[in-house]
Amino acid sequence: MPVRGRPRGLRLRHASLPTLPQRRLLNQFISKGAALCPNEPAAPSLAPPAPVRFTLAIKDNIATGPASSQSPQPTTCASPFLANYHSPFEATIVAQLRARGARIVGKTNLDEFGMGSHSTNSAFGAVAQDTLASELDPLSAGGSSGGSAVAVAAGEADVALGTDTGGSVRLPAAYCGVVGFKPSYGMLSRFGVVPYANSLDTVGLLAKGVGRIRELVGGDGKETGLWAEHDSRDPTSLSDAARRRCAKGREGYGTAAPRRRSTEPGGLLKGLKFGLPLEYNIEELEPRIRDAWAKAATTLQDDFGARIVPVSLPSTRHALAAYYVIAPAEASSNLAKYDGIRYGVRDTESASDAAGGVLYAASRGKGFGDEVKRRILLGSYTLSSEAMDNYFIKAQRVRRLVRRDFNRVFALDNPLHEPETFDLTELDESIAMEDKWGPEEVDFLLCPTAPTLAPRLEDVMSQTPVDAYMNDVFTVPASLAGLPAISIPMPVAPETTGGAGAEGPATAGLQLIGQYWDDARLLAVAETVAATLNNTHPAR
Amino acid sequence: MGRAAMAELRRYLLAGHLGHGECLRCLHRRPRHEPPHPRQHHHQLQRRSLAVQAAVTADPAPTPTPPVVPFRKRQKEQAKALRAGGGDPNKQKKKNKADNQTVPGWELTVGIEIHAQLNTARKLFSPAAAAPFDLNNGAAPNRHVSLFDAAVPGSQPLFQLAVLVPAVRAALALGCAIQPVSRFDRKHYFHWDQPSGYQITQYYHPFARDGSVTLHARDGIAPEDGDRVDVAIRQVQMEQDTAKTTAQPAATHWIDFNRVGLPLVEIITHPDIHHPATAAAFVRKVQMLLASVNACVSGMEAGGLRADVNVSVRRDPALLHPAAAAAAAAEPPPLGTRTEIKNLSSFRAVEDAIIAERDRQIALLEAGGVVEGETRGWSLGSTETRRLRGKEGEVDYRYMPDPDLGPVVIADDLVAHLASTMGLLPDAELDDLIGQYGLSSKDALSLAMLDDGARIQYFYRVLDSLEERLRSEPGGGGPDDVTTTPTTRTTTTAATATSPSSCSSSPSSSSSSSQRHALLAANWCLHELGKLTELSSDLGITPDGECRVPSSDLAAILCHLHRREITARVAKDLLWGVFRGAIPPGRVTQTVDAGNLWFRELSEDEYAEVADAAVAGEDKVLAEFLRFKQGKAKAYPQGKLMFLVGKMMRAGSEQRMDPASAETLLRARIEHVYLPALKTRT
Repeated sequence: MPVRGRPRGLRLRHASLPTLPQRRLLNQFISKGAALCPNEPAAPSLAPPAPVRFTLAIKDNIATGPASSQSPQPTTCASPFLANYHSPFEATIVAQLRARGARIVGKTNLDEFGMGSHSTNSAFGAVAQDTLASELDPLSAGGSSGGSAVAVAAGEADVALGTDTGGSVRLPAAYCGVVGFKPSYGMLSRFGVVPYANSLDTVGLLAKGVGRIRELVGGDGKETGLWAEHDSRDPTSLSDAARRRCAKGREGYGTAAPRRRSTEPGGLLKGLKFGLPLEYNIEELEPRIRDAWAKAATTLQDDFGARIVPVSLPSTRHALAAYYVIAPAEASSNLAKYDGIRYGVRDTESASDAAGGVLYAASRGKGFGDEVKRRILLGSYTLSSEAMDNYFIKAQRVRRLVRRDFNRVFALDNPLHEPETFDLTELDESIAMEDKWGPEEVDFLLCPTAPTLAPRLEDVMSQTPVDAYMNDVFTVPASLAGLPAISIPMPVAPETTGGAGAEGPATAGLQLIGQYWDDARLLAVAETVAATLNNTHPAR
Repeated sequence: MGRAAMAELRRYLLAGHLGHGECLRCLHRRPRHEPPHPRQHHHQLQRRSLAVQAAVTADPAPTPTPPVVPFRKRQKEQAKALRAGGGDPNKQKKKNKADNQTVPGWELTVGIEIHAQLNTARKLFSPAAAAPFDLNNGAAPNRHVSLFDAAVPGSQPLFQLAVLVPAVRAALALGCAIQPVSRFDRKHYFHWDQPSGYQITQYYHPFARDGSVTLHARDGIAPEDGDRVDVAIRQVQMEQDTAKTTAQPAATHWIDFNRVGLPLVEIITHPDIHHPATAAAFVRKVQMLLASVNACVSGMEAGGLRADVNVSVRRDPALLHPAAAAAAAAEPPPLGTRTEIKNLSSFRAVEDAIIAERDRQIALLEAGGVVEGETRGWSLGSTETRRLRGKEGEVDYRYMPDPDLGPVVIADDLVAHLASTMGLLPDAELDDLIGQYGLSSKDALSLAMLDDGARIQYFYRVLDSLEERLRSEPGGGGPDDVTTTPTTRTTTTAATATSPSSCSSSPSSSSSSSQRHALLAANWCLHELGKLTELSSDLGITPDGECRVPSSDLAAILCHLHRREITARVAKDLLWGVFRGAIPPGRVTQTVDAGNLWFRELSEDEYAEVADAAVAGEDKVLAEFLRFKQGKAKAYPQGKLMFLVGKMMRAGSEQRMDPASAETLLRARIEHVYLPALKTRT
């Protein structure tokens, strides 16, 4: 049942049922589960639910079916096409979390089909952050999983599911001051996730702290970790054998806790090497974020015995362009099924799709939002026979280079690829060689999640699409390489230039990127780093 | 093959099989069936054997031997004659197809794409059942549709490994190299029969490449192609089928998603074909190859196979000016602009559509026009292809690797295993049937193709059972007085008369007994069995080769027939009885016993008595024999002889007479008894 907002020109089929009033008009939910009435008997078809251990909000491009909750909720993808669409089945990840005691509180708002960086491209209206100033001058919640981030920040859900294609979980987490985790590609099942760009899409988790995500993914002693569960219905879900092979030589899976070199608080960090990618220190980086980043690195090195190593990822500057070729290309293909015949609203004025008829075109023209149409056109062009070689093929080559960059800087090998040898002459001169074999290799990369703090929604609305694309510059490389990455809140210094009453955001996102399938150790380390950031910044 | 084709087969048999096997003699000797030049007719039919099935009306002049090399030369001469006469080939009366394989001065080039539905239990990317999709067969529509088949958001493709078995076998049968790694692409276009907006196919990285199919004359290729022609296969790819659309009145279309996502192989040839009949022969051969390795569900008639043809014409390079010809030899001129004719669903349509499109293009070019690259359609029975869409309506398919599907890796051991368990390919089998068993290539081909390959299995069963019976009961089985009457055997029926070696049209003078058994079994499995279904229901033949006439019962009938224990007429009656269920399985011999149907042949004296009676009062006829004997007539009056034999048969007890025995006896008796008597009378 919709909370507020209505798709342009459409009436939703379900009347609103009384729900708990939201504190502010943040628009983070598209539909909410009915408040459970204790006297109401459970539907007989439902298996006895697992005892509720946490509340869960689900991004509305992840299918919830008849089994998901007592009152069926649509899966709209924030698109007019699917405004009344009830999925006949449930996504694997939803079933997995329900089995672990999740109670679904609602389906959260997003950019249509996950295409956007501010959760403004929604048929149900833009999402706003829950800040003191949000009613007058709201801030962007980030996107595309903005609704999920806001629901977690507002305490309406303990855990929220998002999808991360180029940063769609990490960016809103950074803007809203929560934790957003994107797992290794192929770890969490995408079955039931409405695809945007299949080769990049991952299911992500958002929560206020890292701990709950770590328990869900890595296991908490009672429940199996999600990492171990292969889904035969998702062809890109790693097989059980591949999971075992990848987990071999990784810490944190099963009973083996990550190795500690010290028993002190934060002792996990001692001796770990964090790489600072030089290419991420871009001109557009907000100075307060740059300062906080540098301060965090210094703290890790000076107070906790970690080592900070500058590294080079030379393909980074092409990664964003490659992403905005590959993702729209796949999107244009995935969205071809929405033609107004089976889903959405059929354009009745153009009845015929015979030769010369324009039934599909008219329906699609009316049914999709502007950003979706923009990306479909972009993708259709880059896949066209005349542009394919210059765009799609080249972008795939860049993608390969990006992955190679990561494999070169990480100490661990990527279990999906044969080890490569690298040409040292390509390296930035400022990188110091550890020995004659090359520069030092690192355990994790440490970098900001986004180049700016959460912008005002008003400013976002006046941005060009390319400005919005720029927000993904730090998150896209890990997506292209399929690596695990997490954004944790990082306090930033108060705004100094603003006048009285300036209420800019107080946190940014600090991103940690790990080698493929190093998710468990990444989560454990991120939990420790998040704690250290809090301890050393008592102002937060 | 339909019923009409079967009838034609039979007509052919009766005309063309004179002298094959002793047991059909009574049939063959019936004068109305006797063709004037059986051998020649036989040969001609063999050359164009398959066109006969498609176009019964075609009755081309006999082409005794295929032209070996001087095709170009002949073309030149034709062109010269044409120029001299000022004739326009297109103004000529409609030619029949066999004469319409070439147009002087022009070279036709054809490439073919064949889509064949693979024989699998499940769809290509979903575990939904690959159920029959034909509404007429009573399959409920839209029953076997998984989430992915209906393109439900969030569903994903799951490659069904078992598809590789028929797919790899199909590619091996087509002589292709199996690629160790192949990939799936999405091919985008909007149509209601394709719910996801794209088709998953393997255009860029097919699983098999570089195959070749050899077409022999017996496959029905154009005579201009000589004895054999090789058609190179560029690639074979797996892809999804679309939903089935059934047009309803009032602009309504019914869509059956049972068919959506069924696994197909698309077979793409190089443009190697230059004659319409050869194109049709190629499609037919591919169907036979796929059926022989059990890769394919059904043939063209049932919709399991569809063909698209690419057609272009250009001035025959051999007819250019000498200077231009020299240049052309150095660098062959490019092919003409091609058009594609989509969705041809019968062999006949392939040939007819190519002829029509070729003629259309030539007429266009000769009128100074330009052929446009476009997609055209063809309806059965029409005389022209029709335009479907031109270049401007062409879709950019925006091929993209499917991001959900990994590469298909096919290991060598799988290929080796499938190759070793594939069985004999049709050409090898046909060579066996022809070389080892002595079948005509026409009959061999018919046996191999009928009932999607089940008929030949039936044939093997019958033959095995027949050999078994002949081995286990040597010379026995029937009543003693019949089978062991030595006088009948040795004197009346000369041994030579019963052996195929005495027959002029026999393929080999050294036929072994097993060859005779095979010929007998083949004739009955093909022709006598075919007659059963001319009027009524089908044989109910199963893929492993059994039918309503159990193979052991047919073998029992043939065993008796072979031993001359029953007449051919009785054998046919028995076959009908078994087919109709009047004779229960395994009761053939008992039925013969009960009905007293055993062949008790007349003794020589009794034959002579009948002959005497028949000749009485026929002095006029006997005079003809005398004229021959005196050298006044060139040919032996065989017709008159048969007239007298007929008279004998009518006069005597037909159940006890063998026309061949009667003929032999009569001939000898005319020579030694009646003619001397006639001389004395006159």
